[in-house]
Amino acid sequence: MHRSGFFLTILLATVLLVACTAGGQTLSSLPSPTSLPPTPQSIRLRDGLGTEIELSGAAQRIVSLAPSNTEILFALGAGNQLVGRDSFSDYPSEALQIQDVGGGFGNLDVETIIALQPDLILASPLTAAEQVQGLRDLGLTVFVLPNPLQFDDLYTNLMTVASLTGRIQEAETLIVQLKQRVQSVDEKLSGIARRPLVFYEIDGTDPNAPWTAGPNTFIDMLITRAGGLNFGHDLQGDWVQVSLEEILRRDPELILLGDAIWGGVTVEAVMARPGWGELSAVKNQRVYPFDDNIVSRPGPRLVDGLEALAKLFHPDRFQ
Amino acid sequence: MKAPSTLSFWSARPYLVSGLALALALFFSVAVGAVWIPPQTMARLLAALAVPLDLSDVPPAYRTIVHNVRLPHAILMALSGAALASSGAAYQGLFRNPLADPYLIGVASGAGLGAVIALALRWPATLSGWLVVPLAAFSGALLTVLIVYRLARVNQSLPTTTLILAGVAVSSFATALTSFIMLRSRDELHRALAWLLGGSTVNGWTPVWAAFPYIVTGFLVLWSLGHVLNVLQFGEEQAHQLGIPVERAKLLLILAASLTTAAAVSFSGLIGFIGLIVPHTMRLLWGPDYRRLLPLSALGGAGALLFADLLARVALAPQVLPVGVVTALAGAPFFLWLLRRAKSEFIW
Amino acid sequence: MKIGARLSLQSIQVAYNGKAILKDVSLEVRPGEILALVGPNGAGKTTLIRTASGVLEPAQGTVQVNEQDIRQLTPPERARWMAVVPQARQLPATFTVVQTVMLGRTPYLGWLGFPKKEDEEIVQQVLRRTQLEDLANRRIGELSGGEQQRVLLARALAQNTPILLLDEPTAHLDLHHQALILKLVQQTVQECGLAVLLAIHDLNLVSLYADRVALLVNGRLQREGLPAQVLTKSEIEHAYGVEVELLEHPRLSAPFIIPHSNGSSERIAYVG
Repeated sequence: MHRSGFFLTILLATVLLVACTAGGQTLSSLPSPTSLPPTPQSIRLRDGLGTEIELSGAAQRIVSLAPSNTEILFALGAGNQLVGRDSFSDYPSEALQIQDVGGGFGNLDVETIIALQPDLILASPLTAAEQVQGLRDLGLTVFVLPNPLQFDDLYTNLMTVASLTGRIQEAETLIVQLKQRVQSVDEKLSGIARRPLVFYEIDGTDPNAPWTAGPNTFIDMLITRAGGLNFGHDLQGDWVQVSLEEILRRDPELILLGDAIWGGVTVEAVMARPGWGELSAVKNQRVYPFDDNIVSRPGPRLVDGLEALAKLFHPDRFQ
Repeated sequence: MKAPSTLSFWSARPYLVSGLALALALFFSVAVGAVWIPPQTMARLLAALAVPLDLSDVPPAYRTIVHNVRLPHAILMALSGAALASSGAAYQGLFRNPLADPYLIGVASGAGLGAVIALALRWPATLSGWLVVPLAAFSGALLTVLIVYRLARVNQSLPTTTLILAGVAVSSFATALTSFIMLRSRDELHRALAWLLGGSTVNGWTPVWAAFPYIVTGFLVLWSLGHVLNVLQFGEEQAHQLGIPVERAKLLLILAASLTTAAAVSFSGLIGFIGLIVPHTMRLLWGPDYRRLLPLSALGGAGALLFADLLARVALAPQVLPVGVVTALAGAPFFLWLLRRAKSEFIW
Repeated sequence: MKIGARLSLQSIQVAYNGKAILKDVSLEVRPGEILALVGPNGAGKTTLIRTASGVLEPAQGTVQVNEQDIRQLTPPERARWMAVVPQARQLPATFTVVQTVMLGRTPYLGWLGFPKKEDEEIVQQVLRRTQLEDLANRRIGELSGGEQQRVLLARALAQNTPILLLDEPTAHLDLHHQALILKLVQQTVQECGLAVLLAIHDLNLVSLYADRVALLVNGRLQREGLPAQVLTKSEIEHAYGVEVELLEHPRLSAPFIIPHSNGSSERIAYVG
């Protein structure tokens, strides 16, 4: 019958076309292990899901499934122990040289991960628990690094990753530096008279009802630590949508555009939004783009974020 | 082309063609992926499924990829595609409406709500071995259908129009609730969205064993109702007069179709167009007899979803597209083409 | 096939949304006869057919086949006693004639619906009798209204029941097909002794083909008996609210009914 034959031919042709152009990775095209001083004893730690993970030595072939984990690894000098990273890991720029393992649309490229033969997969709560389980079912070691709620939790995470990668000394040095910087900020902010009200915009697609950060988020914690008052501090939920009327009523002193990194959101565009011209922050030109990554990724750059925020809120203390 | 339905019911050709297409789709799904495996190794790995072979010199990574990643995934996609297409065909027959798809009376929105609740409450991934999110999705789906059924029932009968209206209303409510919950929980939003766009997030053989009994049982029940569906095409009144226990048949159809769809959706996420287009294609090719249309839709749905999944995995490697996106992108123009043929062909 | 079945409706009352459609209707259809059910639009003819076939449940009264209440029968059992020929409306276009007629064997086919040799033979016989052999593999969507109605009749005949119910089978048909359908029914009654309840609106066809007539007006059985008894000038004028002329058919002892306007003040423009 002509019709079914026609269908079949099309099907075959397309599939063959796809098959020939697909599949870029081979085992040999993927990076091979580098040599490093081995740690003598095995490492045993409990991860964020409560699972006990055991490694026979420092991990040499790591796949990172979160941009924060990638930043931590590089900050600890373990960058060349990394063989794979998720699509969103873009900092530092060296990370872009590492094999991408997907995750852009939610699903990881499990095949490539397997082909990389990792001895440790460093995940975060961003990865679905089913995916973690699935990877474990395939015999891979997955360590889920929990989300820190305070700076101390961040330091704990740094030490955890350091133990897994044999970078204890680098971690200790880094933590000392971070603590010093945080303490410096605290000192410079001691005795501040008032806290400016800050509106941190996460998404402004609907300018009449933009999204901001609620309590219990990094952003809220950092803004508070940096001497400001987060607009969403008394609201409910992690992401909260507030009406323009409410913003007008409370009239924040500063507006930070966390969505500026996504493009299309510029200070001029925001100030020109209908109704926004009434805000003091707009009138006083205190609308700033902000690199969302340094306040939302739970890595060492949170301290960068803290410093940046503090300088914006209390410039007089940071001359 | 002339009367395809004059092919005798017992003709093997439709099954052979569909079976061949499915076999090819299965083969390519296992042979092709983000990682390139040399053909000889691939051949040996495939042969090892049938015959015990010594695979000690094959890199274990390749073996894991083929046997424990691609193969179970392909089987799951095949099962899901079969489930969606056959229940789509059944609903089109039950409601006598060419726009009916397996999500009509709330399975999809119920599954979505169940999954998102599980994700938002941050339930553990497994509970004594059971995969929690798919289980929550499954329960959500069946609960929703139950609610719709109770709402639509009038005395002892189940008027189909009321059923559709109740389904639409409950679905809208569930979807709205789902969106609300998703927006309240930031971290999980990412995962929930990924789940809702379709594509199985769970690897390995577990989802296959879990979904298999529901999908197969549901399908067999649907298939046994093929003759009943044929009679129902003349309307419920005439079916009644021809001796069909209509209300019981409708209930069975809804139960079986919901069971298969819920299982498919729970493990593969929301995948559209398969349930709508594959039955129409099969009907166009091989006629409206449901005794044949149901198994052919199952075969066609399996092949179509495998094909879409292959594209999803490979088109933007290492990014894995949600399958639902691929089926929508491919499905919509295909559907339009089908409509054009239908107008001149008088198919419905 | 079972022969000699009698269909009786006793004191049937059917209501819909609080409104009474059939009020205390009692009827009997005997084997070997065609009982024509006539009456104005909205009198309840179709409702009566649907009640008789079991689709509608009467609020009061019973429907019996050979003294057995049809509510005690399972759907397939009932379908082996009674077949219905509905009006040919909104049929699934892609079914072929033979597929459609085969569906008439449903009460005998079992759940999966696979026909046996016997079923296939019966279908072939019925196709021959209803002159549908040449159209056997055509899709019913492509047929004319008359041919579609014939297919539905064939399907009912394939059901091989002693009782046949027809709901206005000649509506929308041309003269040729009207005659064809009714002749087929008449032949089958004579050959097989069927009991036939025929709802029909064309009074002149009634007098030609029916053995007895029941006149239904506003849900009540006005009159029942031989055509000459029921189709009188006064009964018709009372039931239909229009003046009629009754003529004697040249060859048969049945009346011929022609409606006309009352008085010369209203003229029918097309008389000529």
